[in-house]
Amino acid sequence: MRVYILRRGGISLLTLVIASIVVFLGVRAVPGSPATALTGNTNFSQAALAAINREYGLDKPLPVQYVDWVGQVVTGHLGASPVTGMPVTEELGNAFPITFELTALSMLVALLLGIPTGVVAAVRRGRAADYASNGLALFGLSIPSFWFGIVLILLLSVYLKWLPASGFISFSQSPGQNLAHMLMPAFVLGTGVAAVLMRQTRSGMLETLRQDYVRTARAKGLSEWVVVLKHALRNSLVTVATVIGLQFGILLSGVAVTENVFGLPGIGQLTINAVFQRDYPTIQAVALLTAAIVIVINFLMDFVYMALSPRVRLAGEPG
Amino acid sequence: MTIATLPGAEPTIALTQPSRQGWWRRFRRRPPAVIGLAGVVIVVLVALLAPLLAHYSPTVSQFGQVLRAPLSPGHILGTDELGRDELSRLIYGSQSTLEVGVLATLLAMVVAIPIGIASGYYRGPIDMVAMRITDVVLAFPFLLIAVGLAAIFGPSLQNIIVALGVAQLPGSIRIARAEAMALREQDFVQAAIVTGVRDRVILFRHLFPNMLSPLLVQASVSIPAAILGSALLSYLGLGVQPPTPSWGNMLASAQTYLYNDPWIAIFPGIAIFLTTLSFNLLGDGLRDLFDPSMR
Repeated sequence: MRVYILRRGGISLLTLVIASIVVFLGVRAVPGSPATALTGNTNFSQAALAAINREYGLDKPLPVQYVDWVGQVVTGHLGASPVTGMPVTEELGNAFPITFELTALSMLVALLLGIPTGVVAAVRRGRAADYASNGLALFGLSIPSFWFGIVLILLLSVYLKWLPASGFISFSQSPGQNLAHMLMPAFVLGTGVAAVLMRQTRSGMLETLRQDYVRTARAKGLSEWVVVLKHALRNSLVTVATVIGLQFGILLSGVAVTENVFGLPGIGQLTINAVFQRDYPTIQAVALLTAAIVIVINFLMDFVYMALSPRVRLAGEPG
Repeated sequence: MTIATLPGAEPTIALTQPSRQGWWRRFRRRPPAVIGLAGVVIVVLVALLAPLLAHYSPTVSQFGQVLRAPLSPGHILGTDELGRDELSRLIYGSQSTLEVGVLATLLAMVVAIPIGIASGYYRGPIDMVAMRITDVVLAFPFLLIAVGLAAIFGPSLQNIIVALGVAQLPGSIRIARAEAMALREQDFVQAAIVTGVRDRVILFRHLFPNMLSPLLVQASVSIPAAILGSALLSYLGLGVQPPTPSWGNMLASAQTYLYNDPWIAIFPGIAIFLTTLSFNLLGDGLRDLFDPSMR
């Protein structure tokens, strides 16, 4: 098992290194010189250009530049945004809690909606509840999240005036207001993931409910709920955990557009603004941060499998 | 590798393969799948016949006709903020939407299938490299790939096709790989290996044709996902650039007029929803045909 953890950890680290090289080279592929990209200026004299290249270490060979850059990143020096003049670390620090709260709340919505409906659909297979859950999942998969957000704003904010249409108030300022602003975005973002989780839970449950050990559990006279929840669901959750890991990357794309629709100043908004203002230090930092988060989450998911599935725990799964 | 295998990537070859007519007869018996197929056919026809169906230019502004309500004379779905006919723009918007959905999926398939087959068949170092590629791609959400491409090349339709195609690579590689691994153990492939059939022939004649059905199912769920992705990117301004209409950029410009003229934000969304729903219904129908246990 220790071998397994080390192995997965090594693979995650390798992936992170490759991802960081991709980000590093990406910024250097931007048209014009990296000096232009990193400072936001286009008009330099030759002397000024040389000075900037020296200051940023751009006159050194690429591998040296990469190692220097990694050193800066690890110590938290991500440069300053040429647009706002603020250190990128500070910008990320302001935006991150908002995105984190939105992502966590929408995952919560997705789990609360997706897993119970998936279980019910599998247990009541072929009956009304199954068709209803499948219909809902199809709806969640097909609806564009940002449009769903716009429709909810129209309905709940413009016509019914129940919830604020956009903006952000921090939790420490007013917990109630904070949640009121987060409710619609989290629901919009969560439904899409819920649809995927529901389908995965359903098919996982159908698979495990057929297994011999489930029949044995039933034969032992255990109540149906114990069989379904303790024996079948637990094993189905192994595949569901995979999906949650994979969905995280997709969720992070959805986060950007949801933040845009609801005017939340999170990482997604920061990224979109950075693209249109050609703010490369910010883009570089966001890309690296996102990749690191996705890789770490997928690594953590491996521990969830181990907790859920004895087979994985004992087998020392090859990569 | 069971851990990282995508859900739905389980090999389906153990099933008996019924004749083609049998497929169609069983497909026809599923109303949702037939409705999905009909929806897809309609959208494709609308996109192909756009110049014949649209009564107005999708791009020329009519400043005397700004923001007419639906059911106005001459404009059944009203007009937008520049006086352009909403219905005509929706009709033309189907073109870029389908283009992205289909081309992104095609791009992903063309790149992913050879990689997936080779990594599943040969295993070893090739497999290791292929799996690291998928890990790295998975680490970047498709939005970030699109952002990167837009930062380097400027926003365009081609960028979002590439971004969404690249984002689909991991899923498609893993499906082709899982199928190749399972097929490799089948008697007919083992027999071919033993009798000294060349690898190239085994890969293309024995493996590839036998994994078409799961790949088809994968394509049918990838297309709607790419359509949603392209709408999202166009909405953010990273994709199709105005004045060319796409359902995503129509929604983006409509948001400014949400309070007084909500309909121009409603129609493009319904168009996206019905299109992705049709593809998803069709995809579910195909999946049920090939893997009836999940019905």
